[in-house]
Amino acid sequence: MGFLTPWFLAGAALAGLPVYIHLLRKHSTNPQPFSSLMFFERRTQSSIKHRRLRYLLLLSLRLAVLLLLILAFANPFIDRSSASMRSDRLLLLIVDNSFSMRAGSRLADARREALAVLDARRPADHAQIMALGSQLHVLTEPSIDPGTLRAAVDSIAPSDARGSFGELATAMRSLSESVHTPIELHLFSDMQRSAMAASFQEMVLPPSVSLVLHPVAKDPAPNWTVEGVNAPGEVWDPKKTRVQAVISGYHTPAATRTVSLVVNGKTMATRNVEIPAGGRASVEFDSLDVPYGFSRCEVRIDSADSLPADDVSLFAVERSDPRKVLFVHEGTDTRSPLYFRSALASAAESAFTLESVNVDQTANLQPSKYAFVVLSDVLSLPSTFENTLNTYVKGGGSVLIALGTAGSRRPSVPIFGNNVLESHYYSREGERFLNVGETDPSHPSVEKAERWAGVKFYFAVRVDPGDSRVVARLSDQTPILLDKSIGEGRVLLLTSGLDNLTNDFPLDPVFVPFIDQTARYLSGTESRISSRMVDSFLQLRSAKEQAVSVEVVDPAGKRPLSLKEASSAQTYQLTQAGFYELRLANGRQDLVGVNPDRRESNLDVIPADVLSLWRGKAPADTAQAATTTNGQTPQQKNPFPLWWYVMLLLLAAAVTESIFASHYLAIQREDP
Amino acid sequence: MQRFLDPAVLASISNLDLVAKTVVDGFVAGLHRSPDFGFSQEFAEYRAYSPGDDLRHVDWNVFARTERCYLKRYQGETNTLVTILLDASNSMKFTSHGVTKMDYARFIAASLFYLANKSQRDAAGLIVFDDELRNYIRPSARQGQLHRLLSGLENAEPRARTNYGKPLDYFQNLLRRRGLVVVISDFYESPDVIVKTIEPLRFHGNEVILFHVLDPREIRPLLGAPSILIDLETDESLEVTPDYAHNDYVQKMDAHIAALRDRARASGMDYYLLVTDKPLDGALREYLTIRQGKF
Repeated sequence: MGFLTPWFLAGAALAGLPVYIHLLRKHSTNPQPFSSLMFFERRTQSSIKHRRLRYLLLLSLRLAVLLLLILAFANPFIDRSSASMRSDRLLLLIVDNSFSMRAGSRLADARREALAVLDARRPADHAQIMALGSQLHVLTEPSIDPGTLRAAVDSIAPSDARGSFGELATAMRSLSESVHTPIELHLFSDMQRSAMAASFQEMVLPPSVSLVLHPVAKDPAPNWTVEGVNAPGEVWDPKKTRVQAVISGYHTPAATRTVSLVVNGKTMATRNVEIPAGGRASVEFDSLDVPYGFSRCEVRIDSADSLPADDVSLFAVERSDPRKVLFVHEGTDTRSPLYFRSALASAAESAFTLESVNVDQTANLQPSKYAFVVLSDVLSLPSTFENTLNTYVKGGGSVLIALGTAGSRRPSVPIFGNNVLESHYYSREGERFLNVGETDPSHPSVEKAERWAGVKFYFAVRVDPGDSRVVARLSDQTPILLDKSIGEGRVLLLTSGLDNLTNDFPLDPVFVPFIDQTARYLSGTESRISSRMVDSFLQLRSAKEQAVSVEVVDPAGKRPLSLKEASSAQTYQLTQAGFYELRLANGRQDLVGVNPDRRESNLDVIPADVLSLWRGKAPADTAQAATTTNGQTPQQKNPFPLWWYVMLLLLAAAVTESIFASHYLAIQREDP
Repeated sequence: MQRFLDPAVLASISNLDLVAKTVVDGFVAGLHRSPDFGFSQEFAEYRAYSPGDDLRHVDWNVFARTERCYLKRYQGETNTLVTILLDASNSMKFTSHGVTKMDYARFIAASLFYLANKSQRDAAGLIVFDDELRNYIRPSARQGQLHRLLSGLENAEPRARTNYGKPLDYFQNLLRRRGLVVVISDFYESPDVIVKTIEPLRFHGNEVILFHVLDPREIRPLLGAPSILIDLETDESLEVTPDYAHNDYVQKMDAHIAALRDRARASGMDYYLLVTDKPLDGALREYLTIRQGKF
């Protein structure tokens, strides 16, 4: 017997407190004045004796409560041998069904060994079956029914998840808090090295759990895989779209592999690639000729290894026509459309085409045909076009306005509506130029560009911000970029020009990402991601899109969300490899290619000494698994905590003390 | 108004005059009768003038009509003499709830004085005693008598022990004229001794009322644990047990009260037990009953 926290025993000194209260303070009585003792008589002896007896019983109860409380904190335990506990142990069988268990006959071997352990157990032993992927899945409750347990083992199917022994240890720690019997954990796994936690400390099992390992793979198997594919999510010009793939080999010899690009089941191109021994090589496809709409694409290799499931990498692309952007400028200004077109072409992967017109040519234009409209330093607009633009913005359209030296002469900004206060020529005022002082990183236009630290502004128009949102300010607090919602649409105002005269913004590296994000922000399109990973989460709706139904169709063609989940779920976890079809809350259709975590493709196993360390044994006893399956576990001492019983005693003592003390206090009440 | 008869409320009033006025007005209002109850201004009879009569009482209207002198008599002329004997021994200091027995006795005495002097036009006097005669204010109905009486009450602080024999021997000589004698005390003495001492007053034709003032905890002590009690008069200490206090003492006290009440009534005296947490109207009602019935 021992104590896990013996320092709490020092609290036994507190036992002197009730002794002091009961014995030392017993005789201290304050005399009470009374009008006359004419009718009183001295009565002491019998009552004191009675009182002392009662005091001693109460004192002993209080001392017991105090000492039991201290004992409970000291956490006493006794050593019990494993053999003595075998009758009330829990046999926990965990079969690894992560993606790597698809290699060869690993999962079948694991199931067979699990059934052998089930057959070897004593009939009275409770057993429980679980499956280990990225999380621990409970397949049965603790049971002695062999039929239920065997059926659970047989039902374990391979998954696409990544195995994690850290998750296993975490689950065991919580399980040992609720299950007070010893747990004999049998793990049937390929003991993949990548399943280990980052820190070995996270894999340590609680003392009540004894680990028995059943490795189903001894040596790392050679395996080739498509490690990654770099492809755009959206395609506007198939001839300009490129697909890059990285092919990796783990424990493989140098070899030549054939890599195919498959679109909607049809092989579009093949390449041969030399892969060095245990290394990687990249391959590039120059075009991605996909039809309009969503296409299911994959990069495939002919690996002929033991894990064919990772020879393919899926991705989905959407082809659509590029959208037009209307760029309105003064006839004399030829620089700003040039810079804007160049930035747009290099940034947005040909998603937009620019149509630049003079102010004089705008009279008959319909802005609704364009993704958004840019007004670059326009002195005046034809009134019909201005009215059309106002209607366009209120109806949901977007406009980017750049104010140069010409636009500063207007009393107010067109469309935007706010007053022009003054204009600053910093180059004439001594400062020569000003930099951006602060930006609002939460705004989509400057999200990736961060601070425009190197941009020099020689001229800026000071505009009254009013109710608009200031996205960026110069170092003298002049708003340089403002955003305003008007009706259903929005207007973004740059208070300097796009012509490289009033600033050097078009020549700065941040100009391209700014134009890219601004174009996407104003046109309302977001960049698609062509593929995701198993166990990642997909956002189904934003905070504003509540109570709108979404639809998810998994690779097997089933709808995994219930009606309630479809109208309320914020996210969805992608649990299978394959293509998911989605209809999001904003009404947008989407197709997502989901691939397993490529760390599962590395079939390297954990060294034997690390496994021995995890079991908490010397490396030599490798035959332990075999002996255990015969039901003969060697003697092992395990601490058996007693605090639970101490707490029960404490509760009983406290209740008795309360009853007795209240009975004692009842004497002090006045007789009715 | 009833709340003004509550001792706890009266204890917060420092002016004894105000206490008396509050009590009496409240008490009278509670009776739903005239505030001039007992004091009659009604015509009773005419009596022929005889030499020596006070000329202020001659009805000059009748003299003008008949040329004979008649005295006009009223019912209220039958004034009496009220003397209060107040025990000011140390035991009267006892309290268990904020109002000492002495305060309570003062409230009663002040209220009776107010009632007698203001309402009934009775002559009132005060004798304060412990084991000696401490203060004596001669009964009178003159102007300013009420203030003298209330001043006497305010100066009557508890001290010394009670001894009925010595002071009563003395004031038997003072109370020659028959009237109403009110004794306010906690009567910690044998009922035989008390009655024998006070009985001679009755023989002189006085109506005697014993107001027995006790604290509720004197009747039902509240003792949580064995305690040491100290006698307020003798400073004697005694360890007593809750068991005794809750049983034997209560029986003895009840027997004492019953014996005193029986012995007093047997001697023609009125007895009234006043508990200090009860309103004062019981004492006033007792006084008025006797005042109305006997005089």
